[in-house]
Amino acid sequence: MVLYAFIKGIFKEALAKKILLTIFGFFTLIIVLIIFAITNSTVDGLQMMLESKSEGGLKEAVMMLQSGIVSGIPMFMLIASMLIITASFIPDMLKKGHIDLLLSKPISRTKIIIGQFLAGIILVFLSFLFLLGIIWLIVSLKTGYWNINFLYSVLWFTLIFAVLYSAVILIGILSRSSILTIIINLLLFFPITWLLYLANRYFESDQKGIVFGPVAETLLKFFYQILPKAWNMQDMCDAIVTHNPVAGYQPLISSLLFMAVMLSVSIWYFNKKDY
Amino acid sequence: MNVIEINGITKNYPAKKFSGDKIKALDNVSFNVGSGEIFGLLGPNGAGKTTLVKILLGITFSSAGKASIFDKPVADVNTKRKVGYLPENHQYPNYLTGEQVIDYFGRLSGLSKADLDKTTYKYLKIVGMDEWGTTKIKKYSKGMMQRLGLAQAMISNPDLIFLDEPTDGVDPIGRKEIRDVLLELKNQGKTIFLNSHLLSEIELICDRVAILNKGALIKEGSVEDITTTGNKYIFTTSDLTDEMMNKLLVEYKSTVHGRNEFSCSVNGIEDVNRIIDCLRASGILIHGVNREKNSLESMFINLIEQKN
Repeated sequence: MVLYAFIKGIFKEALAKKILLTIFGFFTLIIVLIIFAITNSTVDGLQMMLESKSEGGLKEAVMMLQSGIVSGIPMFMLIASMLIITASFIPDMLKKGHIDLLLSKPISRTKIIIGQFLAGIILVFLSFLFLLGIIWLIVSLKTGYWNINFLYSVLWFTLIFAVLYSAVILIGILSRSSILTIIINLLLFFPITWLLYLANRYFESDQKGIVFGPVAETLLKFFYQILPKAWNMQDMCDAIVTHNPVAGYQPLISSLLFMAVMLSVSIWYFNKKDY
Repeated sequence: MNVIEINGITKNYPAKKFSGDKIKALDNVSFNVGSGEIFGLLGPNGAGKTTLVKILLGITFSSAGKASIFDKPVADVNTKRKVGYLPENHQYPNYLTGEQVIDYFGRLSGLSKADLDKTTYKYLKIVGMDEWGTTKIKKYSKGMMQRLGLAQAMISNPDLIFLDEPTDGVDPIGRKEIRDVLLELKNQGKTIFLNSHLLSEIELICDRVAILNKGALIKEGSVEDITTTGNKYIFTTSDLTDEMMNKLLVEYKSTVHGRNEFSCSVNGIEDVNRIIDCLRASGILIHGVNREKNSLESMFINLIEQKN
């Protein structure tokens, strides 16, 4: 009942603030571009290129196309836009006169945070399902190859969003400012976690062009470990879409741990705060 | 039976961030509110009234002391099923209609869709807002928002309702209507805890009041007890003769306010009856005998000035 009220509330807010309309318009534009971009000649060209290199046929060409759709830049743009859209939900909830009413209802403070968190995730999941689901349909219909694994990208993108959204919740509760929440979370997403991702790849590789001091290397590794690994998760999503083995689930586990910590701290702080 | 029990509630706020200095918003406040009462909490701005209500609703936490609602600690979330609340300066999402506000907060109160279908318009009608249910609240006036807030506070049919300045911004007719709603709720056995600056209203509908000043409780009791100044009675009569006026001045130490009115301090009801007997024996008609009272407002101002 409570979760339903929160979901309904968030959808109404998204509808009223024209957020849903913006998402729908933006995603429809992407879909239209993809419809025009993916022509028979595009797929044929990709197929011929792969066949000439003996790297596969139509199946691989479709997967390569889908891999491009869920690659780093589109992933960043989609998730960053969702973070911006949802960043105001918590500060709006904490406005004087509204939070008093919410806390006077027979709902625990923990449930309020979890309800807001899940409601935000459901909104984003449905948005991604709309976009990626239609893209999948278009690509499948145009090529005749139905790569079910592409649909897992909806879940992966939602998961990446959920990890970052947990930080949105915490910063929103602490700062009560939508702008500050957006700035901190976008910086966290890009460039902070992206640079840490690159640094980690560099440390794991054999080629060492740049020499880091031991303190800098330790610090970079430390922050890489404790912060969310959105970019590694995007790699994992890509591997699943292209039917390749996933290198390891450690980035997923540590990101989920980050999410659990963010939510726990949010709940703890929200539970002890006077409003 | 007490619905609310408050024992030694104290609330300190830090004066500045990261400093040890504290501001005492509430200082060892204790009182009870009985079932079925309309209880008024009075005090100047910054007296701690809203802080106390927020502590009772678990919105703010006390620094010391204990409070309970329906014999359960205020931290008990389930107790809130029996509680309605209209906060001061309430803010509903302005993209909602009146009906949607009731639906949203009704669901958060644990009501099902079926319950809400039955009750939403019932309560909107009680507060005179049934014709505005489908209008977005951004078009509502302040008074309409207060009425909607009252409907929201009543939607789960609670046994205890906290109202913080419920008539703020409401016109005199609207205020009368809200007072009537509150009296009807009292007749249904509901307990109402009212925070208001409008002392004349409190006087009209409250059974008991408590007065807070600078976080401390300075007076608590029934409106009757608080506004009664002593054993002074005012008599209104037909024309008094000179002889009678003399007698009243000398024997009863009365103060005569013209030929038709005099006041007199007495030791008890026997003295009042003795004066009545004396008047009647002289053929004077008695139009009224009233115990002298202060208005709640003048008493409140006197008390606050004394304390300050």
